[in-house]
Amino acid sequence: MSMLEVNNLEVRYGRIRAIEKLDLTVERGEIVTLIGANGAGKTTTMRAIAGLLAASRGSIRFEDRDITKLKAYKRVPLGISLVPEGRGIFGSMTVMENLDMGTYSRSGKKADSELDRVFELFPRLAERRTQAGGTMSGGEQQMLAIARALMARPDMLLLDEPSMGLAPQFIRQIFRIIKEINAQGTTVLLVEQNANQALAIANHALVLESGRITKTGTGRELLADPSIKEAYLGVA
Amino acid sequence: MSNHSPLGSVGATQTAIGEELADVTKKHKRTAALRQWWNDRSRLQQWLMLLVVVALAYLLPVINPPLITTEPANDFAISCFNMALYALVALGLNVVVGQAGLLDLGYIGFFAVGAYVAALWTSSDSTFVHIPYLATLPLAMIVTVVFGIALGLPTLRLRGDYLAIVTLGFGEIIRLLATIIPGLKGNTGFQNLGRPPGTNADGEALFTASNGLPWYWLVVTIIIIVAVLLGNLERSRVGRAWIAIREDEDAAEIMGVPTFNFKLAAFGTGAAIGGLAGALMGGQVGFVNNQKFDVPTSILFLAAVVLGGRGNKVGVILGGAIVAYIPLRFTELAAYKYLIFGIVLVLLMIFRPQGLFPAKAHLLTYGSRIRRWVKKEQAPAQPEGGPPPGSAPPAPGGSTAQSTRRARKET
Ligand SMILES: Nc1ncnc2c1ncn2[C@@H]1O[C@H](COP(=O)(O)OP(=O)(O)OP(=O)(O)O)[C@@H](O)[C@H]1O
Ligand SMILES: [Mg+2]
Repeated sequence: MSMLEVNNLEVRYGRIRAIEKLDLTVERGEIVTLIGANGAGKTTTMRAIAGLLAASRGSIRFEDRDITKLKAYKRVPLGISLVPEGRGIFGSMTVMENLDMGTYSRSGKKADSELDRVFELFPRLAERRTQAGGTMSGGEQQMLAIARALMARPDMLLLDEPSMGLAPQFIRQIFRIIKEINAQGTTVLLVEQNANQALAIANHALVLESGRITKTGTGRELLADPSIKEAYLGVA
Repeated sequence: MSNHSPLGSVGATQTAIGEELADVTKKHKRTAALRQWWNDRSRLQQWLMLLVVVALAYLLPVINPPLITTEPANDFAISCFNMALYALVALGLNVVVGQAGLLDLGYIGFFAVGAYVAALWTSSDSTFVHIPYLATLPLAMIVTVVFGIALGLPTLRLRGDYLAIVTLGFGEIIRLLATIIPGLKGNTGFQNLGRPPGTNADGEALFTASNGLPWYWLVVTIIIIVAVLLGNLERSRVGRAWIAIREDEDAAEIMGVPTFNFKLAAFGTGAAIGGLAGALMGGQVGFVNNQKFDVPTSILFLAAVVLGGRGNKVGVILGGAIVAYIPLRFTELAAYKYLIFGIVLVLLMIFRPQGLFPAKAHLLTYGSRIRRWVKKEQAPAQPEGGPPPGSAPPAPGGSTAQSTRRARKET
C-alpha cells in the first residue's frame, strides 16, 4: 500500500477547473517531485492534499485511510504537514513561538527532541530564536517554515516551492536539507520550479501541465528526457 | 535637464520614511524599557503596584479630581460608570478584533441584545416573566452567545472585508428589529428596569439612575474579573490559536488549529461580554429603547480598541475610558466627537499604528514551554561572547549542536 494515493482528483475555483483527473502516489520513504509551469496547478494540488481546498471529484487516501473529506486541521495529527507557498510565517510571533505553533497538533506532548532536531538542521534559527518571524529574511523564513512543519513530526512533508526567491547558494542548502530530512525518515512531496535540482534528488517525478499530469518517471528519467529539458531545464 | 530629478525626490521621501521608522522604533524602545522595568520588579512589588492602581480606580469618582472631573456638565460618578462601561465593551470587542483579528463592525448589536434582555425580564413595561436584575446579567450573556453563534456560523467562513460588511448589517438589523417588532416597543421603549438589591442606612435604594457610584464599582469589579479570565484564556492554547488565526488563517489551520471553531469561540466570547455591558447599561439608565444602538456608536467601540492598542487588555480598557471620557469632559466638543475621533484615528494610524498601548511582544508572556526552551538553549550559549583567543572558530551554531546533544543524553 502506498503512503499517499490521489485518485482522479479534481479541484475547482468556482467554475474554473484548476486540476482534473490527477493521479499521484507516493511511497513511504520517497522523495516525489511535482514540476510544472506557472499556473499549472501545483499549489492547488498541494493545498488539496493538505485539506485547505476541497476536492470536487476523486479521492485522497493517506496511510490507507480515506481523507478526502477530512478537514485540514485533522490531517495534521495523521502525519501530513504542509510548508505553504509563501511560507505562511506568523509574523509577530518569535521564532520560538512559531516553532511552538508547529507542535499545536501534538498538544501536551514533549517536543524537546523535535526542537533539537530542527536546530541541528537549521543552526541559524537557534541563533535567532527570539527574533520576530516577520523581520527575518526570506531565506530564514523559509527555514523557519520548514522547521515549524517538522515540529509536528510529520510522516509526510509537503513542500511548495521551498526555493522560491532564494539565492543560488541558499537553494543548494535547502535541497541538501530536504535530502537530510528525507534520510531521517520523512517522506517528501516537493513542488518546484527549480526542476533541475528537484529532479536530481527525487525518486519519482510528475509533470503537471494545465491541471493534468502529462508525464511521470523516475527523477533520472525525466532529467534525461529531451522534452523536459527543453521546457523546464532551460536547455535548448 | 531638470534639477528636480524624480529620483531625487524619491530619495528624499525615503529618508523621511527612514526617520519616521527610527522615530517609531524609539517609541517602541520607550515602551520596551518600561516593560523591562516592570519585569525587573519582584512579584510582590508588581502586586502592590497593581493594588494601588486598582484602589485608585475604585476611588476615582470619590476623589473627583479637579480638572479631570466632568462636572458641572456631567455627574462625575455617572461619567465614571460610562467610562467603565466603554472599557468593558472594548475588552470584549478586543477578543474579536484584537485577539482573533476578525473585523466586527456590528458589535453594538450584541450590546443592544444585552440591554433588551435586561429590559424584557425586569422592566415594568414588559409582559415577560420578571426575574431579579442581577440574574439578567448571566442571562444576557447566554442570549448574546446564541446570537453570536447564529451570526458567526454562516458568516465566519467569510474573510476580511466581507465579514466587516456582514457584521455591520447585523448591527443595523438588531436596531431595526427593535423598531419593527411590536413587543420591543421601538422608540417608546422600556422604563423602570430592575436594579441590584441593597439599601443604605436610610432605607433608600443603593443602585439608582442618579447615583453612579455603586454602578461604577460594580462595573469595575466585573472588568477585573473579566480581564483576569481573559488573561488566562489568552495564555492558553485558545489564545495562541487566536493569535495564529489573526496572523495567517491558512497557516494556523495547517498547524492543526480548528480555525473555524476558534473564530466562533472568539465571536461568542466577545458577544457575551458585549451583552453583559448592554445589560449593565440598561440597568443603570433604567430605560431602553431603539435610539442608542446606532452604527456610529459601534464604530466608536471599534475606535476604543484601535486607540488603546489591539490585543492589549490594559490598553483597550484605557482606550474605552478615553473614548467615553472626552465628550463627557469637553461637552462643547461632544457634537464633534466623531470628527475628533476620526482625526485622532487618522493621526494614530500615521504615527502609531499599533495604538497608544501596543500589545506586548508575545515572547515570555505565553507558554511556559517556550520560556523553558529559551532558557535552556540560551544558558550554554552565553560563554560564546569571548572564546579564548586562538581557539578554532566554532562552526555556526556549533554550541547549540553540542548543547542539544547534551540535552538528548539527559532525556
Ligand atoms: N483562489 C483562486 N481563485 C481562482 N483561480 C485560482 C485561485 N488560485 C489559483 N487559481 C488558478 O488555478 C490555476 C492553478 O493555480 P496554482 O496556484 O495551483 O498554480 P501553480 O502551479 O502553483 O503556479 P505557480 O508555479 O505560479 O505557483 C491557475 O490558473 C490559477 O489562476
Ligand atoms: Mg504555486
